[in-house]
Amino acid sequence: MRSLFEWVDALPSSIALRESLNAYPTMLTVHVVSMCLFAGLIAYWDMRLVGLTLKKVPVSNIPTRLFPWALTGYGINLITGGLLLYSQPMRYYDNFYFWAKMALMVVAGINMFWFHYATYKSVQAWDQGREIPMNARLAGVVSLVLWAAVVVTGRMMAYAGLMPEWWNNLNIGA
Amino acid sequence: MTQSFFEWMQGLSFSAWMLEETWASPIIQCMHLVALVAFAGAVLVVDMRLIGRGLIKTPLNQLARELDRWMIWSFVALFVTGAPQVLSTALKQYYSPFFWWKMQIIVIGLLFTFTIRRRVAFAEEGTLGHWPKVVGVLSIGIWTSVSVWARLIGLLS
Repeated sequence: MRSLFEWVDALPSSIALRESLNAYPTMLTVHVVSMCLFAGLIAYWDMRLVGLTLKKVPVSNIPTRLFPWALTGYGINLITGGLLLYSQPMRYYDNFYFWAKMALMVVAGINMFWFHYATYKSVQAWDQGREIPMNARLAGVVSLVLWAAVVVTGRMMAYAGLMPEWWNNLNIGA
Repeated sequence: MTQSFFEWMQGLSFSAWMLEETWASPIIQCMHLVALVAFAGAVLVVDMRLIGRGLIKTPLNQLARELDRWMIWSFVALFVTGAPQVLSTALKQYYSPFFWWKMQIIVIGLLFTFTIRRRVAFAEEGTLGHWPKVVGVLSIGIWTSVSVWARLIGLLS
């Protein structure tokens, strides 16, 4: 894995991106704005499942009407995030919060697919009503917590000096 | 006058504590970002509805009323978590043009949101012609520019 990161780090396009004055601020700013689009809409979908808000909106309306926008935000977020990683791979290689964020995104994705292919299939039975099944509520809470953790670990990536002690002891960067 | 106010803020013992306490700034910044997501979602769902996208089967005023308190409380959370960051880095903020642009646009955004946008979003649908679309686009533009300037304070100041 380390050799892959080092190989990318040495690519001329990675170096060019890293040395550009405007690339990093532009990519990071677009990353934050697209995060607002994606995470903002997903948060209200999750809160609808939990029963915190939008109670009069049929549950099935949200994936149909809001997900295309949320996925657009997610796509832009993935591209800008990928470019940020591409431009400074060795900055992130030994960063605990980077790997924690990646792991959390995978778990959030699994939760989303699990919900979609298991719980959501019975949506017609609870679409209009206010009583959301416990499985759906649970998926909403798990999703809220996971995406909030993704946002938090994403912000924490800037704090290279605040890695957990046990992570530093692994000496991954050496 | 303004500069001395910012120097006073920077000199507060709370500002010194924020800078010395290792975890204070990161924790507050993380909370600020989570509040930003909550605020962005509450604003976006209504703005998209204003421009004829998103939850179009739900009446606009019902959607606006339901998300109003989420928008207000998440903004309060943004203010509460943003103020300590301004206090602890007051002089950096003072010398950053992005900080001043952000503050000006926040004032414009708040005035716009609680006057024109509120009136349009809470009005009877179909009575205002194209104005809801204009208001939705303006609202998205205003709050997007706030987050752009906010991000650039940390990167280019």
